[in-house]
Order: sequence, then C-alpha cells, then structure tokens
Amino acid sequence: MSYSLRGTLIRSLLKVVTPLWLLICTLLAFHAWHEVNELYEEQQTLFAHQLYGTLPTLVARSEPQSVRPGDNDHQAMAVWNPRGQLLLVDSDGLELDARPGFTGFASLRQHDEDWRVYYLSGEAGSVAVAQEMSERWEMIGGLLLTQGLLWLLLLPFVLLALWWAVGRGLAPLARIREQLQQRAPDDATPLSREVPRELQTLIDAMNDLIGRVAQTLQRERRFTADAAHELRSPLAAMRVQAEVAQLVQDPQQRERALQQLMNGVDRSSHLLAQLLALSRIEAAQQQQDEALDWPLLLQELHTEVSALATSHHVTLQLPPAGHTQWPLQHGDQTLLLLMLRNLLDNAIRYGGGTVTLQADATRISVSDEGEGVPEALLDKVCERFYRPPGQQQTGSGLGLSIVERIATLHGLRLSLHNREGGGLQAVLTRSHDA
Amino acid sequence: MRVLIIEDDELIGDGLQAGLSALGFACDWLRDGRQGLAGIGAAPYDAVVLDLGLPGMDGLAVLAAWRRSGRSEPVLLLTARDAVDDRIRGLDSGADDYLVKPFALGEVAARLRALVRRRSGHSTPLLQHGRVSFDPAARQATLDGKVVDLSARELALLELLLGNKGRVLRREQIEEKLYDWAHEVESNAIEVHVHHLRKKLGSDFIKTRRGIGYTLGDEA
Repeated sequence: MSYSLRGTLIRSLLKVVTPLWLLICTLLAFHAWHEVNELYEEQQTLFAHQLYGTLPTLVARSEPQSVRPGDNDHQAMAVWNPRGQLLLVDSDGLELDARPGFTGFASLRQHDEDWRVYYLSGEAGSVAVAQEMSERWEMIGGLLLTQGLLWLLLLPFVLLALWWAVGRGLAPLARIREQLQQRAPDDATPLSREVPRELQTLIDAMNDLIGRVAQTLQRERRFTADAAHELRSPLAAMRVQAEVAQLVQDPQQRERALQQLMNGVDRSSHLLAQLLALSRIEAAQQQQDEALDWPLLLQELHTEVSALATSHHVTLQLPPAGHTQWPLQHGDQTLLLLMLRNLLDNAIRYGGGTVTLQADATRISVSDEGEGVPEALLDKVCERFYRPPGQQQTGSGLGLSIVERIATLHGLRLSLHNREGGGLQAVLTRSHDA
Repeated sequence: MRVLIIEDDELIGDGLQAGLSALGFACDWLRDGRQGLAGIGAAPYDAVVLDLGLPGMDGLAVLAAWRRSGRSEPVLLLTARDAVDDRIRGLDSGADDYLVKPFALGEVAARLRALVRRRSGHSTPLLQHGRVSFDPAARQATLDGKVVDLSARELALLELLLGNKGRVLRREQIEEKLYDWAHEVESNAIEVHVHHLRKKLGSDFIKTRRGIGYTLGDEA
C-alpha cells in the first residue's frame, strides 16, 4: 500500500495535538470559571459591605425610597431596614426577597436568567448585591474564543512548517534514489553512508544486499565461463571424430569414428544434464519436503547404477530394502536420488572394487576400494569442473558440486576421507550433529 | 611426417590420431604429461601436438622442460581457454603455434605442415624435384604436371625424400618417419615403397647408396 509520509505525519500530528488542545482549553475554562467567580464574588462582598456602611444614614432618613427603574447593567442591589422594609433598590428586573438575618451567597433563577446574590445582614438592616451569571459566562466565552482563534490562526503556519521540514528530512532519500537510478546492475560499489542516522541502517542493509548480489553475479559469470570452456572439449572431440568419419575410406575405421562421435554426444549430454541439474539446484531456495520413501529410493538407485557397476566390474552393496535407519525422514526424493546416484557413480567410475552404501540414523556413507584421492586434492575435488590429474574416466567435474549442494539443502554436510585399507569414503553427516 | 600427440581427452586424442594418420601423418599418442616429457625422445618427431590441460604434468611445464633441455621440435598447442593471456603464456613458453578447441582437423594438419616447412627452411608449400612436384596439403604428386596415383606410404616417402634433398636417409630413419608404433614394419617394406616410386616416377628418381640408404637422384 502506498501512502505519503508527509500526509501521515500531518494526520498524526493533528490527531495528537487536537485532543490535547481541547483538554487544555477545558482545564483553562474550569480554572478561569473558578477565578472569575472568586473575583466577582469578592467584588459583590466588598460592595455589600460598603452598602451596609451607608445603612445608618439611610435608616435615619427613615423614609423608604421608591424603587428605581433598572438600568440593565446585569447588576442589582437592595437595602432593607432592620424591620425588613425596603429602603433602596436597583432591581434591574430582579425581584429580591428580604432575608433578614441571612449572610452569604444564594443562587436564583428568574425570567430565564441566573443570578448570584450576596446577602449581608446585621443590626443596621440587611443588603443584597446580585449579579447576572451570564456576565461571567460571557467573560469565559471571550477567553476561550481568543484561545480558539489563536489556534486556528497558528495551525496553517504549523502545518506549513511541518510540510517543509518533512521535505527537508526526506531529501537524502531523493539522493539515494538518484544514486540507485544511475547505477549499473552489476555495480558492486556500496552506497554512500553520508545520510542521516535514521537512514544508515537502511543503507547498510542495501549495501549488504548489493554485495551479495554482486557475489552471486560473479559466481554465475564464472560458472557460465567455466561451463562454456568445459563444453569446448566434447565439441572438439565430436568435430574431430566427425571429420575422421568423413576422411577415412575404410568402412571399419569410419564405423569406429562414428561410434566415437556418439560417445562424444553422450558425454556432452551428460555434461549438459549435470550443468542443468546444478543450475536448477542452485536456483532452488526451497525443495520439496515430503516424507521419504527409502525402499523406493533404494530400488530406483539400484536400477540406475547397476548397469554402470556391471560394466566397470564393480560389486555394489546397498542396504536391504527394509533398512529403516536413515539420517533423513523428510526431504526431496528426486534430489536425494540424484545426490546418492552421483556419489555411487563416482565410486564406481573412479574407485572400484566393492562399492558400499551404508546408512544409520546420523549419517550416510559411500565407500569404494579404489586408489582414493591424494590428501592434497581432497578439498579441490568438490570444486566445479575440477578433475584430478591422470583421470582416464570421462566425467563432468560437477558431480560432487551437485552432491554438496543437495546435501546442504537437506542440512547434511559432505566430507571425503581416504580409507585406511585403501579407497575413498564419502560421508554425509547431519550438519548440526557435526 | 611423424607427429607426437599428447592429449588426455580420449575422444580428441583418438580422433587426432585417426584423422592425422588418414591425412598422411605417422602419429603416436600419449595421454599424460610425464609420459610426454620423456616420449619426445623416443622417435625422430617432426612436430608435436600438445594439449595444455594435461594430467600428471601441465602442458606448459612439459614444453618448458623440453626447451630447457634443448629440444627444438615445433610444438602446436591445443587449449580450451581462449583468453589472450593463455595464448601469450603458451607462445612465450616456447610453443610455435596454438589452436583453440574446438578446432578443425584440416587446420591442425595444415598448421603442422606449415610448422615443419618453416623449420626446414621452405617457404612454398609445394615441394619439387626435377619433373616431380608434391603438394603436401592435397597429398598429391605430379609428374610433368600429370597426377600420379600413389599410396599413402609412397606419398609419405616422397615427402620425406623431397624434404631432405641432398641428404642420404638410412632405412631405419625412413621407417621411423613413416611408421608409428601402432604399425608393424615388414622387413622389406621400405624397399617395396622405393621400388614402387621408381616405377611411377622414373627409375633414376631415387638413388640407392649401398650399405648407407637412399637419396634423391639428380634433377633432370
């Protein structure tokens, strides 16, 4: 799924900042409400005390004042003499009841207006100072409105700055993209690590990949070059034999040259088959993982190598069909057959005598009674196309590479030893047991 | 012309031997570098076909050892590698020519003839003596411009005599040049071939030096 880093960042920011801002506003409103109430009520109390101070003068006049019409300033007040007679009132539409003897705050609701009233009573009479609550709410509202406006004004600038910062932060990515676009597919030089720290792990991973790809590519190229060279010899042989067949007059000699030509074709086919097998196994990341049918595998193995054994006068000893001790119970039957066939093939062609395949729960071994391989060459014989000097038998030089690869795919490790009594032993061990 | 082939590949070696024999060469074939090292002294070879990737001892090492010990037989290298470096190393080690596999049999033969020709100081491919001329590439002899029908051995003897003008060749020398190890030589075989050549090219074409051997007659 494709998405914009900028968009994501801005959305995340809004998602986090907006509730936070709302929370702050709420707290602010509560706090302001408290402060405003305190402030106004202090004023009411003070005013009430001042009014009360004027009471003796008013009482001395002893004539009740008429009620003055309201001046609509959301304020109201009333003064009573000790007998509860109204002396002075600025009602502002509010009907205040006398509450002789009561001192303190009271809340009222009249004509859809909320009022807060402070009564102060004493020997000189009592006073009431009232204020409309809407006055306070307006003040709080104004405060919140200022906050909101401020936020709305600032928000575009914040977003713009964020937009710009993200672009600046992503600039190294654009440089990396350019580097990658201009790069030749087989260029193995690592990408520059002069990038922000956050991107360095990505660059390191990419450099690691570039290195591995380059290695694979190099290996493949060497393999192709080697394979091409290996094909030259059988081609040269076939060409020479074909020319001989054209050249000679004697039918017997011609027949022989044609037979040799066929041998050359067989040899090339074998080499090609091995090359294909190897490249297929090389490409295989995951092989079949089926329950192995060892009796069937043994039977197929016997069918495939017995003719070769007979023609090389080799006695073949395979485990009995009912043999149950094998280091593997799961794997790729076809590949394992190819692996064991290559090992037996080698033992028959290059070893000789009695060729024995043995297996137990941890290992499979193939031994022959030939001359073995000089210790110094034991490591080299597994290399692709390597054929030990003095080899009269034809072969591709790929057999052990194939064996090794299949073994690795199955978690087995191939090792070669010269046996004490003469001959070579190839052993496949479970790698985690080794 | 006797040629030593040193090649470990069974099919190539076999083909070279059969093919070059059919083209009039007497060929011996060795499969191993170490055998080749000593084998070159076993017969008077006119040229050597040497494979580079040999078991036992690398072709270049064999060549270098020959040159160090003063052997100067012309050597044609066969190589599966066509990198310039390989060719340079081969020529610098004392090889006279090289061919990259796969090669044409005819080219091997032509290059061998050229090597031998250069070695013996001839510049033209055609060998001539009096009314007789011989084309080694076509394996064809003519008398007064007319083609003479000769057997492969007779052609080889003719080529040998034409290549050694003014020299007397002993019978054993001729046998060694005409026959490889694979072929038994009848005790009077050379006499028979000489007799046939005289019959076809004129009785005074070959002179017998009693007790020594054979040489070409005077140019008429």
